[in-house]
Amino acid sequence: MNKLYDVIIIGAGVVGSAVAREFARFSLKIGVVEKELDVCCETSARNTGVLHAGFTYKTGSLKAQCAVEGNAEFDKVAEELDVPFKRTGKVVVGFNENDRQSLLKYKAVGDANGVPGLAIIDKQTLENLDSSAGGEFAMHAPSSGILNPFIYNIALAENAKQNGVDFYFNNEIMSIQRKNGFYELTTNRTVYQARWVVNCAGLNSAKISSMLGIDGYTLAGFKGEYFVLDKKAGRYLTMPVYPAPGPTGGFATHATPTVDGNVLVGPNSELVEDFEDYGVTPAGMEELMTEGVKMFKHMKREYFIRNFAGTRPKLINKETRQVLDFVVEARAEAPNSINLVGIESPGLTCALPLARRAVALMREKEELIANANFNPRRKSILCFAEQSREVQKELIAKDPNYGEIICRCENVTKAEIVAAIHNCLGVETVLGIKNRTRATMGRCQGGYCETRIAEIIQEELQKKTTEVMYARRGSAMFTGKVRG
Amino acid sequence: MRKEYTCIICPNGCGMEAEIEGVRVIDIAGAGCPKGQEYVEQELTDPQRNIATSVLVENGILPLVSVRLTKPVPKARIFDVIQAVKQIKVVAPVKIEQVVIENILGLGSDVIATKNVSAK
Amino acid sequence: MAMIKKDVVIIGGGPAGLSAAVELKKQGINDIVIVEREKQLGGILRQCIHDGFGLTRFKQTLSGPEYSQRFIDQVEELKIECITDTTVIDITSEKKVIAASKNGLLEYQAKAIVLTMGCRERTRGAISIPGTRPAGVYTAGVAQAYINLYNTMVGKEVVILGSGDIGMIMARRMTLEGAKVKAVFEILPYPSGLPRNIEQCLNDYDIPLYLSHTVTNIKGRSRLEGVTVSEVDAQLRPISGTEKEYACDTLILSVGLIPENELSLACDVELDQRTKGAIVDENYQTTTDGVFAAGNVLHVHDLVDFVSLEAEALARSVISYIKTGKLDKCDIAITTDANISHTIPQKISGFKDCKLSLRVRKPMKNCEINIMQNGKMLKQVKFKKAIPAEMIQIKLDKAELQAVGELKVVVR
Repeated sequence: MNKLYDVIIIGAGVVGSAVAREFARFSLKIGVVEKELDVCCETSARNTGVLHAGFTYKTGSLKAQCAVEGNAEFDKVAEELDVPFKRTGKVVVGFNENDRQSLLKYKAVGDANGVPGLAIIDKQTLENLDSSAGGEFAMHAPSSGILNPFIYNIALAENAKQNGVDFYFNNEIMSIQRKNGFYELTTNRTVYQARWVVNCAGLNSAKISSMLGIDGYTLAGFKGEYFVLDKKAGRYLTMPVYPAPGPTGGFATHATPTVDGNVLVGPNSELVEDFEDYGVTPAGMEELMTEGVKMFKHMKREYFIRNFAGTRPKLINKETRQVLDFVVEARAEAPNSINLVGIESPGLTCALPLARRAVALMREKEELIANANFNPRRKSILCFAEQSREVQKELIAKDPNYGEIICRCENVTKAEIVAAIHNCLGVETVLGIKNRTRATMGRCQGGYCETRIAEIIQEELQKKTTEVMYARRGSAMFTGKVRG
Repeated sequence: MRKEYTCIICPNGCGMEAEIEGVRVIDIAGAGCPKGQEYVEQELTDPQRNIATSVLVENGILPLVSVRLTKPVPKARIFDVIQAVKQIKVVAPVKIEQVVIENILGLGSDVIATKNVSAK
Repeated sequence: MAMIKKDVVIIGGGPAGLSAAVELKKQGINDIVIVEREKQLGGILRQCIHDGFGLTRFKQTLSGPEYSQRFIDQVEELKIECITDTTVIDITSEKKVIAASKNGLLEYQAKAIVLTMGCRERTRGAISIPGTRPAGVYTAGVAQAYINLYNTMVGKEVVILGSGDIGMIMARRMTLEGAKVKAVFEILPYPSGLPRNIEQCLNDYDIPLYLSHTVTNIKGRSRLEGVTVSEVDAQLRPISGTEKEYACDTLILSVGLIPENELSLACDVELDQRTKGAIVDENYQTTTDGVFAAGNVLHVHDLVDFVSLEAEALARSVISYIKTGKLDKCDIAITTDANISHTIPQKISGFKDCKLSLRVRKPMKNCEINIMQNGKMLKQVKFKKAIPAEMIQIKLDKAELQAVGELKVVVR
């Protein structure tokens, strides 16, 4: 029988992990229940990796407040949690009078929201900032940045784990009952009991909300597709370059450098019924290629590494279809629950501010005692490729596994692969190793390293060939041995 | 009747056209060497194939040793040969040309190693 | 890091690197090292367990491992230095080589560098196949490595995209190991690989080959569940309405090989955009002085016998380079018409016998390859049949060549 938790958090995306980490500052028994085999599998893993400034959100909204708050603190957060982050700034470029009006409108919103340093700049200033950006003028948002969303999500979860939070993977919540003042959460594999439940289920947040007894939320799924371009293309782009928003406020296809030096082109937007249909479509790719090359002239076929897609779970008014603000609430219908519904962009930026608001909602009902042992700091796996030759020599001398290059495109060593395999969350998938080390992210897409990684997983974890999982539940890579 | 053949004896893969009567080759064009006609004649009577596969290695630095046959065997028996190969294992060290199975299934062909595998 | 001086550093111990090393040593260059990132020498041949190697060189058709062992044996007999399990992570245009191994970082200062790193496979992502990204999608070389080297079976119900030799070889390999290969699809209107392989890998096992088809959707959340296949038009675009569904758990991609030249770029080697390999002269010297390239890293080969010859020719040039410090200027450019994809080398001196390697762009019957210089026909070679899958090699005597003037290679 599983122990009685003070708090069970549903979902280990960036929001669930941030909530876990913030609750861990207090002396509580906390568990996170996640349906997939790792943290960061859905929307948290499928986005542009941007730290937003906050100039596109309605003044006074939760999105606006949390974005500005999350943006301001991120230098400290990235340092504490050892997350790759660059405060590159962003330019939103315009060509004509309509664009200028649009930019002025967003500058006003941004100023009202407390976004620092927004400025309308001329062509010369724009060229000085980024020589490949096309545009007659632009709005410069110096507080925007780019981060590694996988490492950020993993870092939050690992920090939570190191501070005592339990993580349960491969457990999908099937039903939630209230019994004797507790919550009983039944998954596909077992039952958990908790005094409090926090709904961080993202794509499934409306479904979990209903299980808690809070009905009436409608999520609309908007699929976005992306191209990932080679680091060679990344040399031409130093900061996100967006076109001026259209009349409805959305951004058309844009090009964003990643913090590792690749380029993401996208996302487009298409209403979908099935939130987990991540298929990349010919129409979507066609749209990205046509629009993308306008924003980024180096969008050439020879740079294409791969495509992916994600779904934005937008909370909407069922009748008017209007997109609504984030919901973070504690409702009487579901006592001792905290309900987060419709968290999508700017979810990465807002994760910790939202988490603190969740904690505050619990504090309204209960006194929370500080965890004296809470350590907010966490280290990533050391990246061999980024070290100087002197440091590389020392590393190999200490651990010869640093001298064995496994992923040759990204120069990831066996020591890093082994460290990733032995991650504190107990994740065992190939994708888990990819997200923690960058192995398989290069131009050969695992052509050289995947066979080695699969072998090392089997050795280190004593796994049978048929037990090696690629990414999601049921994603066995192999059907068995050839002989024996 | 006229029939087209691609010879598989060597990588040249000569495209041939043969005039066939029953199992006899009356005439042949396109063969780069005499083996071409031999190949067609064999195909008509008793097609033969060589195959490459793997045998499990015990205590080797590699888990498998690649093997092939010293002589082609009847095409119809290929999967029987594979089944027989699946049942056995060799102990390292294994050397190229080492006989792994002698006279497999009595077909007059040996299974030999095509790779060196040192012991662990 | 103590700098180790070497006459020649050979990057890659596959057939090209091995042949170059043996020829260098035989001709008196002793101070050589082969740097190989795998734990064993042999390169891609380690996993090519089928036969077809060595027909011209050894008058036998050997398996890949047997062919490479002939050279590995010579490397051992000649006591040529090799380090394995060591990956070159950088080279400079001053011919410094930095490699990572379990024993530390090694730094070499070479007089000459031989690039023989081979090639990588084109990926699903590079050709943007629509659909999801489940487990079960493998490039053919990776599937071959899993099955032949790692004793790991990748799937049971297989569809193969690409009729290149590797794809067809894997069709047979997987069938022999109990998988059901449902079909091979090829986007071009003609097969990409050798006719011999269509016969012994597909026809022998009743595996259908569909030309002018491609995969237009990949389905499955976690593990592959099926693919959609469409016919394509003359511009290779999918034709709407021709979609067919194939249930499968494995998709094998054999959609092209790309010479692996990231290290070459690190030492400023200029690449030919047509081959994605280095631009070389008749000495196999790249645009960086003292850096040479041969084998699949230069241009993708079909027959390893040609790789050995090419690497040996490279070795003889390296010997001249080391002994004299430089080689003849090669200012005669070689251009081709639209029927020929490229020639290796791309430029010659006009003072040496040389061998041109080339491929036709599409299958041709009863054609003539004419090599002209300054309006004069130098050589004419007739072919009953020429296909892109088979590299053509044409020798040119120095007596036939003029000192100045572009060489034009055309097909009639």
